[in-house]
Amino acid sequence: MANGILDMETASRLRRFYFRSPSRVRGRKAGIHKSLYKGISPDFLEYKEYNRGDELRQVDWRLYGRHDRLYVKKFEDEVNLAWCILVDSSASMGYGEGGSQKLRYAESLAATLAYLLLRQGDSVGAGAFSGMELSIIPPRAGNSYMTPILEKLESLTPSGGTTLTEPLLKALEVFKQDASFIILSDLLTDESEIEKSLQLLKAAKKDTVIFHVLHEDEIDFGFRGPLEFLDMESEEKVIVDTDAVRDGYRKRIREFTGKLKLLCHEYESRYVLSPTSRPVEESLIEIADK
Amino acid sequence: MNFSFLNPLFLIGISAVALPLIAHLISRKSGVVKKFPAVRFIIASQGDASARSRLKDLLLLLLRACVIVLLVLVFAKPALFSFAPAGSGGPKALGIIVDNSFSMGYGDNFERAREKASELIETLPDGSFGIVAPLVAGEEGRLSPTSGKEALRDQLSEITISNTFTENEARLEEAFSALDGAPGQTKEVVFITDLRKNGWQNEKIERDRLTIIDVSGEAAQANSAVTGIDASYGKDAVTLGLSVSNFSDRPEESLLASLSAGGEELSAYLDIPPGGTVLNEFAIPGEYISGDKTSDKAQDRPSDDARGTFREVTAGIPRDRLAVDDTRYFVLSDSDDFDVLIVDGDPREDARLSETYYLARAAETISEISGAHITVEDNDRFLGEKLSGYDLVFLANVGDITEGSAKELGEFAARGGTAVIFLGERVRASSYNALLKDLLPAELITEVEGEAKIVPAPEPVFPKQIGERLSQVGVRKHIKAVPSPGAEVLLGLEGGDPFMIKKSFGKGSVFLVTSTADTSWNNFSITTVFLPVVKGFLDMPGVANEGRRNFLIGDAIPIDASDEADRIEVRNPAGKRYVIETSPALFDKAYEPGIYTVREGGKDSYKFAVNVDPRESNLEKLGIAPEKPDADITPGLVKVYRDIWRYFLWGAVMLFISEAVARAVFS
Repeated sequence: MANGILDMETASRLRRFYFRSPSRVRGRKAGIHKSLYKGISPDFLEYKEYNRGDELRQVDWRLYGRHDRLYVKKFEDEVNLAWCILVDSSASMGYGEGGSQKLRYAESLAATLAYLLLRQGDSVGAGAFSGMELSIIPPRAGNSYMTPILEKLESLTPSGGTTLTEPLLKALEVFKQDASFIILSDLLTDESEIEKSLQLLKAAKKDTVIFHVLHEDEIDFGFRGPLEFLDMESEEKVIVDTDAVRDGYRKRIREFTGKLKLLCHEYESRYVLSPTSRPVEESLIEIADK
Repeated sequence: MNFSFLNPLFLIGISAVALPLIAHLISRKSGVVKKFPAVRFIIASQGDASARSRLKDLLLLLLRACVIVLLVLVFAKPALFSFAPAGSGGPKALGIIVDNSFSMGYGDNFERAREKASELIETLPDGSFGIVAPLVAGEEGRLSPTSGKEALRDQLSEITISNTFTENEARLEEAFSALDGAPGQTKEVVFITDLRKNGWQNEKIERDRLTIIDVSGEAAQANSAVTGIDASYGKDAVTLGLSVSNFSDRPEESLLASLSAGGEELSAYLDIPPGGTVLNEFAIPGEYISGDKTSDKAQDRPSDDARGTFREVTAGIPRDRLAVDDTRYFVLSDSDDFDVLIVDGDPREDARLSETYYLARAAETISEISGAHITVEDNDRFLGEKLSGYDLVFLANVGDITEGSAKELGEFAARGGTAVIFLGERVRASSYNALLKDLLPAELITEVEGEAKIVPAPEPVFPKQIGERLSQVGVRKHIKAVPSPGAEVLLGLEGGDPFMIKKSFGKGSVFLVTSTADTSWNNFSITTVFLPVVKGFLDMPGVANEGRRNFLIGDAIPIDASDEADRIEVRNPAGKRYVIETSPALFDKAYEPGIYTVREGGKDSYKFAVNVDPRESNLEKLGIAPEKPDADITPGLVKVYRDIWRYFLWGAVMLFISEAVARAVFS
């Protein structure tokens, strides 16, 4: 398995964490997510080794007596879920060097999350969007599906602009069934575009997690002296005394992230600010069941 | 209020003010280009910061520019002259010396100097004493302070441009001396000048309470001048050499120089490099016609000598801002040679040990100016020498004198020649007394040993500068002499013996120096007065000036008059007539350049030319502004704040600190 962007150490540390959909889903296979059909089909599906977080009442004590190991009984009301992981590969995601490049960070976060989701039995599809384009591989379950996901993620190069709505519409075509959406982006696009996308996802009844990936420079603006800035997407140029604009910039970026948080809350999505300096593990724990 | 800079060239540094601005613009233009994703937030923030940033930029730019300006001003050494209002402070004693040398005729320098002097007079407190005098002394006599502004205004109105060369230090010293006797505690001299280099012996003026006001306004003033005319005589033509000088830092191209002589008008276009002089020769054909009074020597000359039918020559260049030196006058002389014989009574193989070593060196130096021909002979050759070809004869420790040589010397003096006799150990008093009885200015008695200094005569016969320095001369041995009747003791020794005696003999003069010409009996020949004294022999009335026809303004001009002349008149170029004494016939009022006419017995006798001293044509400015060690003049008429640059320095330091603080605050 290619592990250039997959941090196995982090994945190992998060092995006992589960990522659950907050909503009930229409899964068919046994999983960890609450079924929409709870009570209608309480048939026994299979045994599953006990993990932390499983309800003790579901432990089959008889099996414990025979095998001296804890198993929980899985019924049809706990099913698996499809996850759609979408990474923003626009030009602005190319900012930063090495591991602190935003795209690289987003890939790493996506790969680690995909690994953990596959491991918990869910099916995972992954893709990238840039401009109006979406490139995605459909969701599948099984650890062996990690390879195509990694290949997909590793093939990404930053280019184009940041547009959310169009790629999401295309993704929704692929993920018609119940699915949760994970979006990793710097969201450097119009706020109306972001709001429209969140609105769309809510309307499609998709649980959504937004990882807002920003570089440290974009948050702190730690430059010195006069500099000429060239926008990575619009190629707009501006010469400024960075010392003079620093405070104003920081204020505006705080306002921007605050507004995004509110929007996500309004449209029942989860917002996770993920600066590239923040360990992937910390960002993932924010959305995991403790 | 008068504000000026002592080092104005440093003001060029003001252009450095543009540096902070250029640096600012360069930093804006060539800043590092940084690719960045969130430029829209930067642009949004720029609006807030731009006003503040502009204020910061402007303030820092202003502070930096001010620092540079102040530093430049520090180096330019600003000087502030402020004049107190009339009546303020106590009475003063003020000397105002107005430079009226001919270089002040450049542009309106002289008018500005008069205006400045007038301002000073008006600001003089009541009860003050003052002197307003020209730098070039006229006929006003000794300087003496006077009270009352009206009198000072009158003194100022009488000052006109002079055409003579100046000696600034001497005149300023005279003004200070005159003020010493004036009442009032504050005594100062203001010198209003164009600060030309000429006229200053030293470029540094060490004098308290001297304020110099420069009215020239320009560091360099370009000037071209006709600086010389000379003539050489051929059989068929006279060749006139015209020297034209360019006293500027730019070349003169195709300068038209014209020469007028004997009805001929000749001209040439001259290219003169900066600071250079070009000699252009004009040949004028003609035959000798002796229209003027001629000397004995002139009669000796070959009759076919091509001295043209003309006598007067006028040469000129186009008028420039200093017009007085653009024309020069010349009168052809009867006598173009001046011959000096030096008889060495004690010659040595090593010339430095010879009796006449120092005398010959002095004569050679003078010959560079006068064009005299120097001949040095020993005692033996002198005995057979005919002196008719000489103008001046020096005898130095000449022991052997024969009757023939004594007679020759007598005839030489009678014809108008000058003899200067130095004594020494070879001189036998009895022989001299017997053979040169009529000629010798004194009877020689005996050798006297003992240190003695020279005592000037009650009525100085040498210029003041020479007279003061004669005290340097120490005499260890001399021959006691008793002056003959009619002889004049020019210099004496402590103890009463004469040192230098003069006697007129016929048309000539005889000088007797009672000690040696070398250093064996005295140090006369190695003192600074020796050379001017030797030259003084030539300048004295009746000494070898016959036939000389070209002089400088201010010269005391000897007039060649016949023995029977009872009334001699000199007419200046403006037509003004001066009657002069016949004995000695000396004209000392040659203040205007031009051709002067000597009239004797109601008829024109001959003409001579008077010109400005070409040295003054060089308008090079004094390199170093005069320093004034004590700037704290008691409040009154004139205050000079030389230390004003210190305030600018402190200002620059304060602004520099302010700039650093402003940068820290804004960052």
